[in-house]
Amino acid sequence: MSDTLLDGGTLAEGCHPTTEINATVNGRKVQRRVPNHYRVIDFVREELKLTGNKEGCGAGECGTCSMFVDGKLIKSCLAPVQKINGCSVETIDDLDRDAGMSLLQQAFHKCGASQCGYCIPGMVMAATSTLRRNPGASRDEIKEGLGGNICRCTGYQKILDAVELARDIQSGAVPASALEEDAEAHSFIGQRTRRLDAPAKVTGAIKYAADMFMPNMLHMQVVRSPHPHARIVRIDAETARAIPGVECILTCDDVPGVDNFGVFIEDQPTLARGVVRYVGEAVVAVAAETLDIARAAVAAIHVEYEKLPSLFDPHTAMHDGAVQLHGFAQNNICKHTRIRKGDVDAALASADVIVEQTYDTQSVEHAYLEPEAGLAYVEADGCVTVQSPSQNITHHRHMLARILGRPINKVRMIMSTVGGGFGGKEDMIYQGMLALAAIKTRRPVRYVFTREESIKVSAKRHPFNIRYTMGLKRDGRIVATKMVMVADGGAYALSTPGVMNKSAILGPGPYDIANVWVDSIGVYTNNTPSGAFRAFGAFQSEFATECHLDLCAQRLGMDPVALRRINLMRDGATTHTRQQLDRVLAVECLEAAIKAAGWDAGVPYRQGQGKPQRNDFNYEGSRQSYLIGGQTQPLVPRASSKSDVHPVKISIN
Amino acid sequence: MLTFDHYLTPKSLDEAFDVLQRMPAARLLAGATDLLPWAREGRAGDVHLPAVVDLSRIAALGGISQEGARIRIGATTPISALQRHPLLMQQAPVLGACALWFADDQIREQATVGGNLVNASPAGDTQPALLALNTHVTLVRREGDRLIERSVPLSEFILGPSRTMLQPGEILLRLEFDALPNHGVAFEKVGHRRSLAISTVCLATLVHLDASKRIDDLRIAIGAVGPVPERLTDIEDLLTGVTPTSAALREASVRVADRVRSRSRQSYRREVLSNFVERSLAAAIAHAGLDLPRIPKESQNV
Ligand SMILES: Cc1cc2nc3c(=O)[nH]c(=O)nc-3n(C[C@H](O)[C@H](O)[C@H](O)COP(=O)(O)OP(=O)(O)OC[C@H]3O[C@@H](n4cnc5c(N)ncnc54)[C@H](O)[C@@H]3O)c2cc1C
Ligand code: FES
Ligand code: FES
Repeated sequence: MSDTLLDGGTLAEGCHPTTEINATVNGRKVQRRVPNHYRVIDFVREELKLTGNKEGCGAGECGTCSMFVDGKLIKSCLAPVQKINGCSVETIDDLDRDAGMSLLQQAFHKCGASQCGYCIPGMVMAATSTLRRNPGASRDEIKEGLGGNICRCTGYQKILDAVELARDIQSGAVPASALEEDAEAHSFIGQRTRRLDAPAKVTGAIKYAADMFMPNMLHMQVVRSPHPHARIVRIDAETARAIPGVECILTCDDVPGVDNFGVFIEDQPTLARGVVRYVGEAVVAVAAETLDIARAAVAAIHVEYEKLPSLFDPHTAMHDGAVQLHGFAQNNICKHTRIRKGDVDAALASADVIVEQTYDTQSVEHAYLEPEAGLAYVEADGCVTVQSPSQNITHHRHMLARILGRPINKVRMIMSTVGGGFGGKEDMIYQGMLALAAIKTRRPVRYVFTREESIKVSAKRHPFNIRYTMGLKRDGRIVATKMVMVADGGAYALSTPGVMNKSAILGPGPYDIANVWVDSIGVYTNNTPSGAFRAFGAFQSEFATECHLDLCAQRLGMDPVALRRINLMRDGATTHTRQQLDRVLAVECLEAAIKAAGWDAGVPYRQGQGKPQRNDFNYEGSRQSYLIGGQTQPLVPRASSKSDVHPVKISIN
Repeated sequence: MLTFDHYLTPKSLDEAFDVLQRMPAARLLAGATDLLPWAREGRAGDVHLPAVVDLSRIAALGGISQEGARIRIGATTPISALQRHPLLMQQAPVLGACALWFADDQIREQATVGGNLVNASPAGDTQPALLALNTHVTLVRREGDRLIERSVPLSEFILGPSRTMLQPGEILLRLEFDALPNHGVAFEKVGHRRSLAISTVCLATLVHLDASKRIDDLRIAIGAVGPVPERLTDIEDLLTGVTPTSAALREASVRVADRVRSRSRQSYRREVLSNFVERSLAAAIAHAGLDLPRIPKESQNV
């Protein structure tokens, strides 16, 4: 075969083969030799240190890595680096051509179209691509152009507004002065106030933990349990230790301080101690010169387990005789919150209708776009510092000091920009290992989760099973509510106690009910730990309550809004935990919501009962659903002139 | 993670076959949008290959052309070309309608038609559209110093999930089908979301009406509801020669439920498939010039 064909790779002894890449990146010629298996995103971020574009999923699904290759926008996490040989690459880092911010970036800033900011570089790139292709793109075309990019924070409206604003300024339809900051008002409420960090987010300049590099930095990787419940019999790390470039290998034996931590209950070791309790629990941590070496070391570590019986169902876990996952938690009950108000049994006996139903909610992943990451180093004065997107740094700092057995003034936590958290970054799940590795090696150590790892090990929203009993009078008045809720807390407590409290306190909803009984029980199982997630438990119980009220309305033949209007708390109401309220705006809130929604009063499921169809869909002023295919030529009509076949409405089914 | 000793970028078929001859275990790669996600945790995990052969710079594998009544599409043609190429928009618009539903803009720039067929995922979106076009695929291998082509119908090419007739040392060269400038078309798909919308059900319909508005050619192909895409020949036969009516489309739609062979989400798929058959028939017939009113359906969620 021709020699030129084999130029692509050379195999250096003992490490990954490398390849030489010649490309133009952001207008500058670059020539680098990088590992053969690098993808375009690795080349740009790890080799060139251009960190404006992020890696969110590594699988083509999120769009944080979108960049131009020869003018085509692609997902750079899906392109082998060799694809850019001889090509030109454009990343967000230089989109402004050194002029501060591009028009689109200014429009993003003006419209407040960035929150955590992690998706924004990709969004800006996709928007740039859309307007380059068609400077007059319609809103549907813009949606289509941004369709490969996900945002977990903004709800997209402001992003789309920003692209439209940029389009209109570019075409001259709107004056450039529209980008100027609004005049300062007396109150911040109801005003558009510019976010201070937005310029750094729309240009990709802001650094998330995975964007940080330090000279002499090591990379961490972790051996994780493949079993839900097992005893660790033996850890064999000798082969791994012998790999050149492996700087340190950590197990629970390396923890100098008190190795028990947690948000509410101290039940968690930094690295599994003797037993693993869920699939994905950290067992051994490795720090090495390169990510590839760290990965090779992890693959070379052999952990011998003795499998133990596992619990996956919280109801089973509470049975007498079930395996005990933590010595201190009898019947595996992590937290039991009770609310007792009035006499529920008597009230139920007096009710005209009793409606019973069971509700289940599922485990939910936060799916913030920024996977967990952190960088730890020891400062000249011996203070160990961890930078990570921790949503709870002060508490983390205290826990870390105990784990490390150091005075608090020798431990520092810096909260790096959080690329989405939603409660999921409240738990300290990797900062301990990072700090230990930095102390052991006296070198900076960075750890970046893959998306798979993030999904495997970070906390999820608690799945709940809710048995609901509600007694009502025929006129719709609720006389009693009984909720028995069992939540799967997973292997460690994390935020379970707090979540149980909140689900109980807020569960019966904003309704004035004289007789209330709530049991909210969080249970240890061998599932992935459950933890904080937007609404912190209230979501699950209120979901059940609102579903239940709809069901009751149906049983009573009432408009579901009317049923709520009757029962909502009013001035002077007593909450379920017997707190006296002076002023309650719940009714006003409901009235405003039904007005905004164009609510068509009446019982639900009218169609099924042979009554006329509701008329609050697609009413005037409501947002139209999105047409896909905005940017494609409509089908060339065949015999007829009817061309409404396409574009197609999405989400019809 | 995908690792390999060599990444080779041949410029011609001959160079590519040189590599395959020297390294039979080498893996072909076009857009990499299936290969890279596949070599990740949860799928195949870490995969090491002796060599990867990137086909994207071989001119003979690219290009879209018309030769007589036949349309030829090179294997490394990106999906985005199906959406924008004037020839295809005119002569095979079902491909554009399909591309519209395929992933997102950026994946469409990377993903290739050939990769979609060779990957043979039961949820591959181009398969039903190409099946409805009666596509033949051309495979090429080298014997001695001769390049030998063979052409097989797409319906035979895909054997099962991830399995095709492609032999080791063979490359998918191009696709071929008849230009159908006067057929009405429709493409339907549901997936979990817009990008990475791996199909749960997808369906392509092509229809031709004669001068008296009778159906004289009908092709319906379904995907994602079984191991391989297939044609709904019974419905095709039922409606061919018929002047379509709304009632006839409804009747056809209720007959297809038993075609769902996937193991998961069966009842959902059955309902969607039946609705798709009716809606796509109406849409394709309308595109061909005959508007039929839809018979309303009773609400099923009571
Ligand atoms: C986020 C995302 C969304 C997606 N959405 C969709 C979707 O909506 N619909 C859909 O159908 N698919 C979808 N896919 C899957 C994928 O993009 C397609 O299957 C694509 O067509 C694969 O083409 P490729 O060139 O990238 O394949 P590659 O990954 O390069 O190759 C796939 C396989 O085909 C082989 N191969 C490629 N070309 C040839 C050739 N010419 N001859 C012989 N063998 C060859 C390779 O060896 C490999 O085994 C999606 C993928 C991602 C990552
Ligand atoms: S799409 Fe590339 S990182 Fe998500
Ligand atoms: S701002 Fe879009 S993901 Fe946070």
